[in-house]
Amino acid sequence: MEVLLGITGKDFTIVAASKAAMRGATILKASDDKTRALNSTSLMAFSGEAGDTVQFAEYIQANIQLYSMRNSMELSPTATANFVRGELARALRSRRPYTVNLILGGYDKIADKPTLYWIDYLASLAPVPYAAHGYAQYYCLSILDKHHHPDIDFEQGMKLLRMCTQELKRRLPIDFKGVVVKVITKDGIREQEYEDDVKVAIP
Amino acid sequence: MASVFSGAPPQSGPGYSFKQTPTEAPSGTRQHGFYPYTDNGGSTLGISGADFTILAGDTRHTSGYNINTRYAPKLFKIGGEGPDNKGASIVLSVVGFAADGEALKERLDTIVKMYKYQHGKPMSVAACAQRLSHILYGKRFFPYYVHAILGGLDEEGRGALYSYDPVGSYEREQCRAAGAAASLIMPFLDNQVNFKNQYVPDSGSGHELQEKPRTPLDQNHVLELVRDAFTSAVERHIEVGDGLQVMIIKKEGIMEAFHPLKQD
Amino acid sequence: MDSLVSQYSRPVHSAEGPSQDEHQELSQTTPPLSLQFSLPPVAQSSAWLRAMTDDYSNPNCPIKIAHGTTTLAFRFKGGIIVATDSRATAGNWIASQTVKKVIEINNCLLGTMAGGAADCQYWLAYLGMQCRLHELRHKRRISVAAASKILANLVYSYKGMGLSMGTMCAGVTPQEGPALYYIDSDGTRLAGNLFCVGSGQTFAYGVLDAEYSYDLDDEAALELGRRSILAATHRDAYSGGFINLYHVKEDGWVKHGFNDTNPIFWKTKLEKGEFSNVTADLE
Repeated sequence: MEVLLGITGKDFTIVAASKAAMRGATILKASDDKTRALNSTSLMAFSGEAGDTVQFAEYIQANIQLYSMRNSMELSPTATANFVRGELARALRSRRPYTVNLILGGYDKIADKPTLYWIDYLASLAPVPYAAHGYAQYYCLSILDKHHHPDIDFEQGMKLLRMCTQELKRRLPIDFKGVVVKVITKDGIREQEYEDDVKVAIP
Repeated sequence: MASVFSGAPPQSGPGYSFKQTPTEAPSGTRQHGFYPYTDNGGSTLGISGADFTILAGDTRHTSGYNINTRYAPKLFKIGGEGPDNKGASIVLSVVGFAADGEALKERLDTIVKMYKYQHGKPMSVAACAQRLSHILYGKRFFPYYVHAILGGLDEEGRGALYSYDPVGSYEREQCRAAGAAASLIMPFLDNQVNFKNQYVPDSGSGHELQEKPRTPLDQNHVLELVRDAFTSAVERHIEVGDGLQVMIIKKEGIMEAFHPLKQD
Repeated sequence: MDSLVSQYSRPVHSAEGPSQDEHQELSQTTPPLSLQFSLPPVAQSSAWLRAMTDDYSNPNCPIKIAHGTTTLAFRFKGGIIVATDSRATAGNWIASQTVKKVIEINNCLLGTMAGGAADCQYWLAYLGMQCRLHELRHKRRISVAAASKILANLVYSYKGMGLSMGTMCAGVTPQEGPALYYIDSDGTRLAGNLFCVGSGQTFAYGVLDAEYSYDLDDEAALELGRRSILAATHRDAYSGGFINLYHVKEDGWVKHGFNDTNPIFWKTKLEKGEFSNVTADLE
């Protein structure tokens, strides 16, 4: 019941990931951060097999940072996405693949546009205006289909995210302990304050 | 002694389809010894018009890759009199497991006949259609392995066509193909009978295009569609062929025709 | 010895032809809409049935039963909205795009159909019969609570036999006002304000929950029902075809059309700018 969400707008990308770290029937931690910043304009959110997730994310993080140091420039979000996909695809054909689903939020400084990529554990890559993984797909994509527009501002983006998390709180049988919200803009990545204990009523 | 009975089909190689059904699970534990079904192939189709209904079915009867006979009818007149079912106005077509089809036809026929004797009037198609649904559902937990299509004329004299799933969910439709080549024939029928994905030429471009309005089809035209559907299905499906049995239900009665199809 | 033999032997042709029961059934003109179903001659009939008909656990099963898919109903101040798609699938094959998944039990009671199409059709017809009998016996219309309980008790008596249905009963009666119940083949029966049932339920819930309020006016409620089904047909491959809309009011239900989803989708996209993920340009 891990939740990953991504929403792009006029000049930003919002990435949200659930805070619960679950093992079997236990929540081990209620403030887990399932995201890693790859460079100043790319952020990766991940879910999937325990162990694989953080290992893969930090392996990618290290390699992207290595690229920045060697070349004195940062890889664009599109290039990052394709690199991540390539690594995941390579691992998939090895003896022990990574079972990790990803959402890559970014801001393309050259095209001056927010970007969002959806990648699953079989290394399918798709550029999308909004994305979800896991059970969030079933509840949130229809909301986003209806309420998302490409040119929304940040406040509208957060409202949209609120609609999604409220629906998940309302309908998911297991508490995912709220979400960590990260925002990527042309100025970099920042964590957004997010109130998680808003009450929702089931009609 | 055993040699006397060696007229059975060869035990290896392509044989009856029920020989290929798994009797053992992959793990090696015994699963189901009871498999009373086989698929005898073939296809049926029905189209209803303004004052007629046409039902058709090929006459090939197969088991796996074997052709058992080239003439096994899938269309049956229901509720007529005598061995030829004289005066019948309802036709049942069944495809799937031929023995279940035969049993189903026999049961429906008896019921419709009893209805006529007890009420002194023939059963309406709507009533017959609902009764057939209940017969099929009566075997919900031990289903008839059949796809049935029922054709006739409704109380206003319009063509009526009902299609069924194996356990009796049913719906009145304009056209329906069932059986082995249903997936080949049905898209053709959607296009040619209900004009799906057909638009009026020069009525605009993109989303302004107007859908081609549905018009009642002429009997000869429908007959041509039926024959085209089957000659095409024969080309691409191994279980369809040999002969085409067609019944046209009109208020004058049922006309039956037989057209040869490719025998290979 | 001879008496022993004659005690256990039967005349040569005694087992031929229809049995006594079958004889009676054939000569009876009223269909026994009763609860006599033939069972396969095996010990575990439900396991056998599953092997033959459940394409979910066994994709190569020989008998493909048509399944129904996205349905919703919600209560609001103007009555109850009931909306469904119209697609029936058997495995990956689209068996029909024109299924009527709203079943008109009588002029102020509606049932919806998700799960096995035949199960829903048959048992809701049976429910209709029971409701009519209740009217005749008690000289007043049955309450939705009672009707739904007849169905729930009925399907519960078949629990484990392989019935598959998720249905909603919506109706308005003088005693209860607008009432909505969810009944499924597990035996669950719930009263509620809002339910979505079927493989597309989550998508419908998404759109419906976001804008649902009890104080919606009729027009907005109908539009919300329609839009929720559209959302489900867009994201769930097992849903599609036409949108079937009903509004249940005090004096019975009103039908609000059986409309093709495709033009509604394009109208929604082009006029309101929704579905921004649908794009023609390749990056």
